[in-house]
Amino acid sequence: MKLFPKFNSSNSLRVIFVIAVFILLFLSSLGYKHNQDLNASSKVAMHTYEINIQLERLMSAIKDAETGQRGYIITRNSRFLSPYIYSRDKVNTSFITLKKLTADNPVQQENLRRLFKLIIQRFTSFENCFKYSDPKTYDKRKLDNHMFGGRILMENIRFQVDKMNDIEKKYLDRRLKIYDQEISLSPVFSISLFLAALLFILLAYRQISKDIQRLKVFNKKLLISSRLMSESESIGKFSTWQWDLDTQKIDYSDNQYRLLGVRPNAFVPVQETFLDFVHPDDKEAIAASMEEIVTKKHLPFIYYKVLRADREIRYFKSTGKLLTDKQGSKILLGINFDITDEHLLNIELQERNDELEKSNKELASFNHVASHDLQEPLRKIQTFISRIPEAEKAGMSDSAKDYLYKIEVSAKRMRVLIDDLLLFSRTNTTKKEFIKSNLNELAENAKSELLEIIDEKRAVITVSKLPKLSVIPYQIEQLFINLIGNSLKYSRPDTIPEIHIESEKINSSDYPGLLDQNTRKFHKITFKDNGMGFDPQFKETIFVLFQRLHSKTDYPGTGIGLAICKKITDNHKGYITADSTPDKGSEFTVFLPE
Amino acid sequence: MQKNALHILLADDDEDDRLFFKDAFEEVRVQTKVTFVHDGLQLMEHLMTPDIKLPDILFLDLNMPKKTGKECLIEIKKTEHLKNIIIAIYSTSSSEEDIEDTFIEGANIYIKKPSDFNTLKKIINEVVTLNWHYHTSGLNRDNFLLRLK
Repeated sequence: MKLFPKFNSSNSLRVIFVIAVFILLFLSSLGYKHNQDLNASSKVAMHTYEINIQLERLMSAIKDAETGQRGYIITRNSRFLSPYIYSRDKVNTSFITLKKLTADNPVQQENLRRLFKLIIQRFTSFENCFKYSDPKTYDKRKLDNHMFGGRILMENIRFQVDKMNDIEKKYLDRRLKIYDQEISLSPVFSISLFLAALLFILLAYRQISKDIQRLKVFNKKLLISSRLMSESESIGKFSTWQWDLDTQKIDYSDNQYRLLGVRPNAFVPVQETFLDFVHPDDKEAIAASMEEIVTKKHLPFIYYKVLRADREIRYFKSTGKLLTDKQGSKILLGINFDITDEHLLNIELQERNDELEKSNKELASFNHVASHDLQEPLRKIQTFISRIPEAEKAGMSDSAKDYLYKIEVSAKRMRVLIDDLLLFSRTNTTKKEFIKSNLNELAENAKSELLEIIDEKRAVITVSKLPKLSVIPYQIEQLFINLIGNSLKYSRPDTIPEIHIESEKINSSDYPGLLDQNTRKFHKITFKDNGMGFDPQFKETIFVLFQRLHSKTDYPGTGIGLAICKKITDNHKGYITADSTPDKGSEFTVFLPE
Repeated sequence: MQKNALHILLADDDEDDRLFFKDAFEEVRVQTKVTFVHDGLQLMEHLMTPDIKLPDILFLDLNMPKKTGKECLIEIKKTEHLKNIIIAIYSTSSSEEDIEDTFIEGANIYIKKPSDFNTLKKIINEVVTLNWHYHTSGLNRDNFLLRLK
């Protein structure tokens, strides 16, 4: 079952999002590294400058010492000696600082050691100069030598210092060059990365807004269908429930609560109380059915009673199904129908049916009474009358003879009535066996049944080709007898009766007000005569039992014949109509379904 | 009474009908000996009496107290020494059902009680002079119900 549309985009969204995050992380780590590099470079520069300064300071201290020495040698004033004395300390301080600064660089340490050696040599040369310039120990040649040697030492020191400065400078240059290289590469790279990340984020945004749009549409649809569902549930008196077998969570639709006689969400449905509303009579069977759903995966309709909280009994019809989704979780779905109204209606119908059956039986026993018990005394009356010898009748008074005659006529009429009535009720109660019959044969049978009166009236009866239909043969024969007999009976005294029977096939749609539109084709059989006819206003009533249009002295009859015709066509799910023009003739039309 | 008189037995609970029957037989030219029984039980007792002369024709009413004509018919046809008695159903009823049932159970002819004494005489004349051998061999649903020509 596909409840919700698939959202593939959620996966691609996730990918886009992860990529964007990685790019941003990469960018920030790149920035951090640049920062670090910059820091390191400035430190290197500082370091270089510091070494430079210390070396210059060292240099100037030595130069100060040299200047002081010169001043003292020239003037012999010891005041000039003070820079010289301080310079030693300065040189030492600078030297210690330099040693620290170059601790990580063995080449510079080596250079520093050489430089220090040179400086010590220089100071030794200073001491020698003092010694040989002193008037007590004056030695011009040695002084000159040392002075000159000092000069060379100074140049060496300068050279050494420059060398160290150069190394630092080169080192700095190299560092700066590497930094420059890195820094010149990264802006383009990082901007493009940034743009890519931006693009991804934009894509993601687009996707999200698209998804949101789709979600909105589906949300609306879901809302509508859930409203529709709940509306149809309350109108159709049914409800649904879901039971998640994994989490044991049970959900009732709102109408489920209503059908159980409580307000929606009046309680939280749980497994233990699931069958609480089932009537005690049915509880066991329903519990068994619930087990069955799990094993058989579906449940045919079950019918049971529900006992509401207000003690009202309702009749339910339920079905269920086990759903297993792709993740393998099992959900029981159930539908309940409240069929109480139908059930009560059914009971009522059943009762009525029983009543009808009873009254039918009564009718059947009435038939028996009519056929046997009523006929018996009547037959005896007639037989007794017939036993009065003619000779004795002759001796009677005229009025006695007349009365006797009237008794005889009445008894005869009563016999006809009973016979017709029996025929009428038998048309309804005897078994209806439909047999495929040729209606022409049945019409011929009817004609031979009426042979006497046909001959007597010299009637002309034409029967066109009639269909073969599945009918109750003796009833259709009776129908022909009654209709032909009717026409013969009500013929005009001075005219030879003519009866034309014709048949055609018609569509029920041609007679919309009359025929059952569910049956498409009918056979229309018309009986047309040239008799006395009747007033068309009676064309409906002539089919009603005991309805007569003529006095029984003019035309003896019981008013049952056409009612029997109507009953016969009813039995065949057909129709009969009549129409007439007085003094011209009548037309009876029988419609029989194909 | 002559020895070769036709033995007729009528089983009918109606006194008037027995009277009509008796009178009618008296006017029929054929020599007959008519016996009457009043109900089905009496009929069976009579037939089961040892050494009794069995009737040539049994006129059997259907609607009788204690034991109906149909029950008697079934019983007679089941009893070996009675089953060859010619049985004429003699009833007021002309229902298809009764005619059909008695035909199936093996009755020889079905007579609807007439409502005219002369007709009754004619019927009785017809029945007693009928060639039963011929009639029974050609018996079918159509000629089972007696119709006077």
